[in-house]
Amino acid sequence: MLEIDSLSIQLGEFSFANLNLKVNDGEYCIILGPTGAGKTILLETIAGIHHPKTGRILLNDKDITNTPPERRGIGMVYQDYMLFPHMTIAENIGFGLKERGVSQTERQVAIRDIAKTFGISHLLERYPKTLSGGEQQRTAIARSLLLRPLILLLDEPLSALDMITRERLRAELKAIHTETGMTILHITHHFEDIYALADRVVVMRDGTIVQEGTPDMIMRHPVSDFIANFTGMENIFSGDAVMTPSGIVEIHMGSTIIRTVTELTGRVHAGIRPEDMIISTEPFTSSAQNSFSGVVTEIIDSGVYSKIVVEAGIILTAVLTRQSIQRLGITLGSMVWLTFKATSVHVFCE
Amino acid sequence: MIERRLPTLFQAICIGISLIAVIILLAVFLGLILFSSPKALIASLFSEEIWYAIRLSVITAVISTLICLIIAVPIAYYMVRFSFFGKQWVNVLLNLPLSLPPLVAGVALLIFLSPATSPVGQFLSSMKIYIVYTSAAIIIAQVFVNAPYMVRIARSTFSMISPRYEHVARTLGCSEFGAFRKITLPMAKNGLIGGLVITWSKAMGEFGAVLMLAGAISMKTETLPIALFLNMSTGDLDMAIAAALILLIISGTALILFEYFGKENGDVYA
Repeated sequence: MLEIDSLSIQLGEFSFANLNLKVNDGEYCIILGPTGAGKTILLETIAGIHHPKTGRILLNDKDITNTPPERRGIGMVYQDYMLFPHMTIAENIGFGLKERGVSQTERQVAIRDIAKTFGISHLLERYPKTLSGGEQQRTAIARSLLLRPLILLLDEPLSALDMITRERLRAELKAIHTETGMTILHITHHFEDIYALADRVVVMRDGTIVQEGTPDMIMRHPVSDFIANFTGMENIFSGDAVMTPSGIVEIHMGSTIIRTVTELTGRVHAGIRPEDMIISTEPFTSSAQNSFSGVVTEIIDSGVYSKIVVEAGIILTAVLTRQSIQRLGITLGSMVWLTFKATSVHVFCE
Repeated sequence: MIERRLPTLFQAICIGISLIAVIILLAVFLGLILFSSPKALIASLFSEEIWYAIRLSVITAVISTLICLIIAVPIAYYMVRFSFFGKQWVNVLLNLPLSLPPLVAGVALLIFLSPATSPVGQFLSSMKIYIVYTSAAIIIAQVFVNAPYMVRIARSTFSMISPRYEHVARTLGCSEFGAFRKITLPMAKNGLIGGLVITWSKAMGEFGAVLMLAGAISMKTETLPIALFLNMSTGDLDMAIAAALILLIISGTALILFEYFGKENGDVYA
């Protein structure tokens, strides 16, 4: 278990204070936050590169605050791979074992084994410069995994890759975690990573932790505007929440009323995930409490999915596959109905 | 068919000035090469005095360049990787010898090391160490003038290597020095070799600071530039030109080598 106990660090312009964080054994923990939130510095401090001003870092109940990086048993992988350019792929992967004084023959066996797992066996004699981004990142992950670290730190490992490679490598990371049961601390600014990988999510902003919980908790109940925006909650409105006698809360935004279930009243924000909205070209009878009709003002194509923006008194965004858009015959100016449940409306304070 | 357009007026001016400059440079250097008769030139090149000057220059320049390397690498590394209070002022001080005329550096060194003018000189002479007007003075003068160049080149080389390479190496089991030796230094190799070539070539040609601290003593502190100077003063043109030609060849070769290593080092590892 990794335990960070009221850690403070000051590094040039950057600082964070009094940070507490626990990563349990075998857990896949993701730190989510925008660039500049101090995530990399936190990881480098855990790895022992920077020295904290105050606080302690414990790994398996051992205080490692003053242990040099080479004796912490922590692996680290950066976004831009950091493969040593003057060494072949095999030399890169075997670097840690060589440092430990493992013999050439044993090293070669280990290198070949892990290269096979990562599908990079055919690249072993090549130099990093000649590899694609995905191949380089596989090499970098293999290089740190070969030492069987107590915890693996991943600093935006998928950010520099194209979308298809990213998805593939994401699946591989998931498989590695499942197979090895390794404790992983992964930082990212892609919220897609958290659904696919995380057991637990920590949201950081300006050097502090603003929310912690399961991916579902973070995505469904973001504690602030910032997190909601960040996690891809597209439809965010503010209004006045009023409790009705039936127990349903009505959020009034001008003449538009959204029904929801919450304990909050007064001035609130409400968020609805685009994928929670049902689109129909005719009025839709269901148990759902909210239904709006409006005109399609924009169709934003983003790969398999398209976002549809509807002017319905408030601007609502929904997502549909391209096929569904064709099937329903939706074009700019079409009249559509948007329906969503009261429980799909996430209410939070600022 | 590729259509050939006439250059614009602006292009024509740029081409014209470049062409004139190239012609002038060629004419000047060819004039130097062709001035002496081949026979007189060969006789001078193989004279005892020129051989002495070549030997002395090569030996002092090699030693001073190695000293520059030993000084420059830690300074450059520290200045790139760490920040500290007053860094910008240390920076100015380190770069000062770059813009200072070598003559001034030489005078300052002379006053600092001479037994007649400074306690340091008196202490050294009491220890029976005499520096001024010896070949040791040549090396000291070269180091003083050239170390800032080497620091500069080493700095730009190190600054192109992201510290994250070392961070990763540390997590893979390297000590701080191990990461420097096994990762950063090999990555900086070409840049540092280029720096060594340029520093060595500058040391071969150093005149002002050497003249002040080591004097111009024939067959004693007579490096190639000093030989050039002494023979010009006595009107022995063939000898002077022989020394000049050797310096010209050294500069040209050094420049080509520097470009070569510079190109090899073209990757930025930021």
